Amino acid sequence: MTDLKQAEKVVQAVHLRALFTTFLTISLCGVGGGAGIVWARRLVVENRRWVTEGEFTDIISLFQFMPGPNIIGISVCVGAKMRGAIGAIAALCGFLVIPWTVGLSLGLLYLQYANLIALRNILGGIATSAAGLLIATGVRLLKPHHHRPASLLFAALAFSLITFGKLPLAAVLVSLVPPSILVAGIENARAR
Amino acid sequence: MIGASAPLALTVQLAWISSISFGGFPTVLPDLRDFVVGTNRWMTNQEFANLFAMAQSIPGPNMILMMSFVGWKVWGFPGALASAFATFGPPCAMYFTAYRLWDRFRAAPWQRVVRMGLAPVVVGLVIASGTVMAYTADNSWRAVMVTIATAVTTLVTRLNPIWMLLAGGILGGLALLD
Repeated sequence: MTDLKQAEKVVQAVHLRALFTTFLTISLCGVGGGAGIVWARRLVVENRRWVTEGEFTDIISLFQFMPGPNIIGISVCVGAKMRGAIGAIAALCGFLVIPWTVGLSLGLLYLQYANLIALRNILGGIATSAAGLLIATGVRLLKPHHHRPASLLFAALAFSLITFGKLPLAAVLVSLVPPSILVAGIENARAR
Repeated sequence: MIGASAPLALTVQLAWISSISFGGFPTVLPDLRDFVVGTNRWMTNQEFANLFAMAQSIPGPNMILMMSFVGWKVWGFPGALASAFATFGPPCAMYFTAYRLWDRFRAAPWQRVVRMGLAPVVVGLVIASGTVMAYTADNSWRAVMVTIATAVTTLVTRLNPIWMLLAGGILGGLALLD
């Protein structure tokens, strides 16, 4: 009961500025991709207690159906929960405006010096590792599915159609997602 | 070189790409590369790989930054701004709507089935993007080794990715990857 009351108090007290700064922090901490969700959980669930652990998991799983950078979905949802549409905008601005401006400026600085061979080499090296990080992220995501043959099959098909088939993303989604969901549905029905 | 309709074409394409980017940033990289490097020749493979490296090593919303760099390349600051909006606008509208429909989504039994069907496809797409980016960025067998070493290190240790990006940057800076 006291927890509930406390939670209500927190909800009322949340200032748009707090939403802005919290999501600014999350944005600046999540470098290299993938780490963003870890920071979002730590700040929003553990420190601020704006959403419970369960709500946070719900938000994440909801966004597995959705396009776009999922971490942005967290800011939109948490902002909307705390202060409605205006809260969503405050959280989103915190997440985007300053990091975007800083990032774009750094990038443009690079474009100024793009003919410096040393800088080009450094970026080339980073791209080389970053590609490895992406592959590893994908393989790690595959781990929970490795004992389900249908999952491995559809993952392999999606991989091949893009890598070797050079098909556009939309074509791959349209041709693989419906059969994949169908198979999952049949398995689900049989399991009952 | 770049026609007047280029900014519009780019914005529309980015809005479309971000609307189907299930699994986030990585899944759209191959499409983006085809559109920007292949179809329109707005930049070279190398430039595209460099923008990718920048977007990955700068803290913040890297998918939006990547698109903004592309936008800048095509149409300067207005292009960067338009690309940013095209990238986060459509997903945000969907997130907000989904949040409003929250309760209807929540308990539905089909939810688990859809997730079970969608997840493996997305996983395959993420791995494919890594491969396509490696193909774009790696110009030598040594670079390929670095990509493989990074992937393996990430899988077997809990090392912060930033160290591996740093290592790649140093090796590249010493001109060891050409």
